[in-house]
Amino acid sequence: MTVAEIETLISDEMRAVVGKVMTTMTSYPISASDIRRWASAVYYPEVPPKLYWDEDYASKTPFGGIVAPEEFNPFAIMTKDPRPTKRVMRRTDFELILGIQPPPTRAILQSEVRVHYSGVRMCPGDIIRSIERIGEYSEREGKMGLQLYTTVSNEYINQRDEQVKVLQTMFVRY
Amino acid sequence: MIDLGTLAVGEELPPLSREGTLQHWNRFAGANDEFADHHMDDEVGRHEGFSGAFMMAPLEHAYYHVLLREWFGDNGRIVDVDMRLRSPLLRGRTFIAGASVKSIEREGDEVIVHLDLWANDDEGTRIAPGSATVALPAQ
Repeated sequence: MTVAEIETLISDEMRAVVGKVMTTMTSYPISASDIRRWASAVYYPEVPPKLYWDEDYASKTPFGGIVAPEEFNPFAIMTKDPRPTKRVMRRTDFELILGIQPPPTRAILQSEVRVHYSGVRMCPGDIIRSIERIGEYSEREGKMGLQLYTTVSNEYINQRDEQVKVLQTMFVRY
Repeated sequence: MIDLGTLAVGEELPPLSREGTLQHWNRFAGANDEFADHHMDDEVGRHEGFSGAFMMAPLEHAYYHVLLREWFGDNGRIVDVDMRLRSPLLRGRTFIAGASVKSIEREGDEVIVHLDLWANDDEGTRIAPGSATVALPAQ
């Protein structure tokens, strides 16, 4: 059976895993160097704002010290938990991570990124946990035939159990 | 600092422009551990149906954050940023993003500003429209 002949790409077992925890991660303590590297990359070729690298300046702001740009990813290089392993699984095989069969699609693209920030900022020394879930499945006909939309929701929580942000990424598979 | 006394619906933010070069993208790849070949190799981009390598979506999303922070400085905060990906920013093109104020409301000691976002390349191709909400301290 080809994708074109399939009436739905969402199986019963896929519906059953919506909302279940897919992955959890715990970061190493965020370093000032991690923040400088991130800020340098997203502001390149400009010099990033002093809030991200000048402790003297940052200490006089309402934050009281250096903070990370809101979109900073504390899990980028390695994580404290899970321990690093050789990368064998594609990051986008969501269903395999949950132990079920993924739909028979041949391509995947990001289609939308949404983020909500609580107002709690990430700072040097913070340890961030993330809890990732499949938030929603939907599908519709598109130029490439039947297209499956998967929303992956990722909640960031700091060491004081304060929510930092919720990042939702929608992927389209066909 | 933004003058909240004159801030009005329809006000345009100063646009943000970033060249689509490997100099820009590889710096972000290093910071975000994002080394997909289609962001570095034109051949891979062509194999996937595009005319060359293309920018990573999280960097486009980050550029929207930069656009907003360049406008409000250190005293505001970003509440929401939504971005819908329409076309990839191809290597050699320039990413140009802007925003306009859609609505303004007072909430406690903050002013909440809702904005429409747009991002095109330098040929006018629509890259990633979106929306954002920022909170500014009431003066």
